[in-house]
Amino acid sequence: MKRKTYPFAAIVGQEEMKRGLLLNAINPKLSGILIRGEKGTAKSTAVRALAELLPEIEVVADCFYGCDPDDITTMCLNCRERLAKGEKLPRTRRKMRVVDLPVSATEDRVVGTLDLEQAIKKGEKRFEPGVLAQANRGILYVDEVNLLDDHIVDVLLDSAAMGVNTVEREGVSFTHPANFILVGTMNPEEGELRPQLLDRFGFSVNISGILDPELRVEVVKRRALFEEDPESLAALWETEQDKLRQQISAAKALLPKVQISDEMLFLIASIAIEMEVDGHRADLIMMKAAKTVAAFNGKEEVTEEDIRQSVDLTLLHRMRRKPFQDLSMDRKKLQEVLGGQQHSHSHTHTHTDVHSHTHAHAHL
Amino acid sequence: MRQAATFLRVQETMAQNEVADWGAKMGGIRRAVYPFSAIIGQEKMKKGLILNAINLRLGGILIRGEKGTAKSTAVRALATLLPEIEGVKGCPYYCDLKNSAQLCDSCRIRLEAGEKLATISQRVSVIDLPISATEDRVVGNLDFEHAIKYGIRRFEPGILAKANRRIIYVDEVNLLDDHIVDVLLDAAATGLNVVERESISYIHPAEFILVGTMNPEEGDLRPQLMDRFGLCVEVEGVKDPGQRVEIVKRREAFDADPLGFINQWAGEEQVLRDRITAARQLLPRVYVSPELLALIAKLSLEAFVAGHRADIIMEAGARTIASWHGRTEVVEEDIYEAADLVLFHRVRQAPPPPPEEPESPEEEPEKTETPEEEEKEDSKEESQAESESEQPSSAQAGSELEEQEGGKDEQSENGETVFAVGQPFQVKRITHNRDRILRKGSGRRSRTNTASKVGRYIRSTMQRKNNDLAFDATLRVAALYQIYRKHEKVAITIETSDIREKVREKRIGNFLLFVVDASGSMGAQQRMSATKGAILSLLLDAYQKRDRIGMIAFKGNTAELLLPPTNSVEMAHKLLEELPTGGKTPLSAGLAKAYEVAKAQLLKDPNVSPLLIIISDGKGNVSIGSEKPAKEARRIGEIIMEEARIKSIVIDVEKEGLLTFGLARELANTLEAEYYKIDELKADTLVQAVRRNRDDRVSGLLA
Repeated sequence: MKRKTYPFAAIVGQEEMKRGLLLNAINPKLSGILIRGEKGTAKSTAVRALAELLPEIEVVADCFYGCDPDDITTMCLNCRERLAKGEKLPRTRRKMRVVDLPVSATEDRVVGTLDLEQAIKKGEKRFEPGVLAQANRGILYVDEVNLLDDHIVDVLLDSAAMGVNTVEREGVSFTHPANFILVGTMNPEEGELRPQLLDRFGFSVNISGILDPELRVEVVKRRALFEEDPESLAALWETEQDKLRQQISAAKALLPKVQISDEMLFLIASIAIEMEVDGHRADLIMMKAAKTVAAFNGKEEVTEEDIRQSVDLTLLHRMRRKPFQDLSMDRKKLQEVLGGQQHSHSHTHTHTDVHSHTHAHAHL
Repeated sequence: MRQAATFLRVQETMAQNEVADWGAKMGGIRRAVYPFSAIIGQEKMKKGLILNAINLRLGGILIRGEKGTAKSTAVRALATLLPEIEGVKGCPYYCDLKNSAQLCDSCRIRLEAGEKLATISQRVSVIDLPISATEDRVVGNLDFEHAIKYGIRRFEPGILAKANRRIIYVDEVNLLDDHIVDVLLDAAATGLNVVERESISYIHPAEFILVGTMNPEEGDLRPQLMDRFGLCVEVEGVKDPGQRVEIVKRREAFDADPLGFINQWAGEEQVLRDRITAARQLLPRVYVSPELLALIAKLSLEAFVAGHRADIIMEAGARTIASWHGRTEVVEEDIYEAADLVLFHRVRQAPPPPPEEPESPEEEPEKTETPEEEEKEDSKEESQAESESEQPSSAQAGSELEEQEGGKDEQSENGETVFAVGQPFQVKRITHNRDRILRKGSGRRSRTNTASKVGRYIRSTMQRKNNDLAFDATLRVAALYQIYRKHEKVAITIETSDIREKVREKRIGNFLLFVVDASGSMGAQQRMSATKGAILSLLLDAYQKRDRIGMIAFKGNTAELLLPPTNSVEMAHKLLEELPTGGKTPLSAGLAKAYEVAKAQLLKDPNVSPLLIIISDGKGNVSIGSEKPAKEARRIGEIIMEEARIKSIVIDVEKEGLLTFGLARELANTLEAEYYKIDELKADTLVQAVRRNRDDRVSGLLA
């Protein structure tokens, strides 16, 4: 049974969340988004709606993991062997998948396991791939990700880090690719995520209910229509949806051509340093995000505005925090870096040139 | 059972090539690995890894550091720099013919029979140990496929077999399940994997090097496991903007075209590989003078390391460093460099002994920080600067505490005061789980049977609920009926009624329920601040152990559940900060509420064992009903005591003085709880109390 999904374009407000999701649809390397917010703020609706907009990908037709026929480095072993034998891999195109990881999932469902009863009766081992295998090259969606069992989180961390799932359990030793975009929603009232898992999400957004009465009325109206007659709501928004779809595929095509100047890279680095984030993942994601924003806006060169648009998404959950502190960001400091970027650093880098810009910094 | 043996033709065969092939076929995706030489910065980590590539006897490396600092990337990249070693062809343990003491049974028997064993040369590989690994895959298991098809019992080698003479890599090693850690430690200590499980009895060599990465935020390693790592480095992000930009650029280039990027760096990689090879050849000729050996011993002594592993590895490390620099003689500098890597995780620290506690040296057979400092002063100027900045802070901790206590408290209009949270004392000490192993025999944390498939297999059951098959038990049952059954293509026919499942055991987090007295009397002499500081310290510990926590405060006429059971320590902290103090002391209401909450939690999850931490002076002066406050509190205390699953600790905040009532002690007696005075409320002793309580419970369960 196919569930009717609410059209993405029909979601009222929550622009930051929508942008985060769209950017991920364009560039899977952004490694996902965490949506934090109170109950009833269209978190889940938005993620499910995104599925409708996801672009098609090129896959090996008969491969369970949906390997990319053009990229040997991420292929599963079977595909690789076939390729080595000189076989031509059958291709097909299909939509990127959204795979649900229920909070109650058991570890063997996640990493995959042996069908033991069959195995013991027939004396044959056969690996039953789990959710991580299904999610390869797709989106792994965890609703209420903060309620996920700790050992499942550990497993997720392990495979998210390398894009490979290694199974060593119950007489099975197996490795398969597991490159997935992690999308999670959570209500912070029910406990925070562990920092390590938090860092695996490329983006995060905090969302709250809309305060504008008019918009609230609009939300109710659309939702009511959806529940009564989903088809007509879908029809109403079809043109908008189409437009978004086209925008996504255009951006996807443009993305490899987008350039980023050293000046912009230095801006990113100094933001990361000033904001005292852990490690270097923030820099990378910020750069990729800025490129994707540029592509989404149909530009081939990253500008400061693109970086601005990606800062919040990238940094909010990466701020170094002392134990027990809330997630928050020092806006003023950020503004300073973005606004008064003087580039006074005295690095001994080869690409050094004096960066100074006179952009008008209206607001963040 | 004897019947079973006749059907299962017992024949201990070596796992031959077919099994090995299966593993090779299914395992080992060769992924594009970021080149080692393209990693920017992190010189110490790179050095440590290179040293291990030169000299496999250094015993591996543990890389600690924040997320996103190329820890895992570097380890993966190391694989391509490792040397080639010779081993017996087709042997799953890749035995070394030159080392006859460490041959596996099969190789030895073949050699003794006069067979000439063919050898091949292979690059030392890095074996992944995923944290989801089950114990049977780590140590090896009954090959049930073989057993069913041919009725032959055969050992199927696990990760430890594969890892013989190779490297085991554990990403996020601090998240590894404790029973897997036990197995690893056991094998690492003896160089052998002894399997006695699921009707298999087998021994094979398992000499491996451990390489691990971890983020200390997620909890620390057991010191015993830590000691297994020869070297240890701490990494952090690069701060230089220019380098950061370069990191991003390189990574982007790699992501865009991995193979092209690798080709581009092939030259550099080769240079590095050549240098490693040269160093490796030079290594046997590197010489350490007796004076320098004495220096090594001195450094170890000054760091108060346990045992002699540090000395041995430091010597090997210094020689390896010399060989890396192309020298045949170790110089002093090499030793200090090696000491830096070797002693980092072995230096034993203790908090400066509090003057009020004369027994503390007895409890902690460790030394103060000073000697370590001397060692560092000797060794490196930068580390000297570090320890200098550290030391004053710990010395000042006490005075800071007082300052803070006085400073930040807010007095509100209705006589309530919100005290600032006192400095958490010696939080570092809590995260450092050194004392955990001392009581290892009696168990570390609460154990429980588990429905998930992680955990140690302790016995089998006929109940089918988890689809977690126990092969050995199933086979034993099936064996009895084999004569009556039809055999189609298999040697052993198994029917559904034969199937047995595993019962597993696993450690769980506890449920800590704080019951905090927030009455006016707590405000006296800034007690509340200190109390809050202590609670905070416990919360930190709870976070690392993934305990669930809850908080009840009582003041005025009522007790309130401030924090319903949750995993969110952040919330607890926020509440703690905001918690006002003032009014009367409804002790009995607090206890009643605690009982109610703990009971509800037990209903929800009978496996959880609530621990009440009652922080009060015991001077209850308001009752819920008509009884006298003290009597009522005692009655409720008795009710709590009768529920055996709920344990309690009482922390007495009454100041020692002319007039002491000892009411909290009475309460503790009623509850049969452990009792601590506020003066003993150094986080150190308090946390030990919590731990001891848990351990006692565990040993009680085991007994």
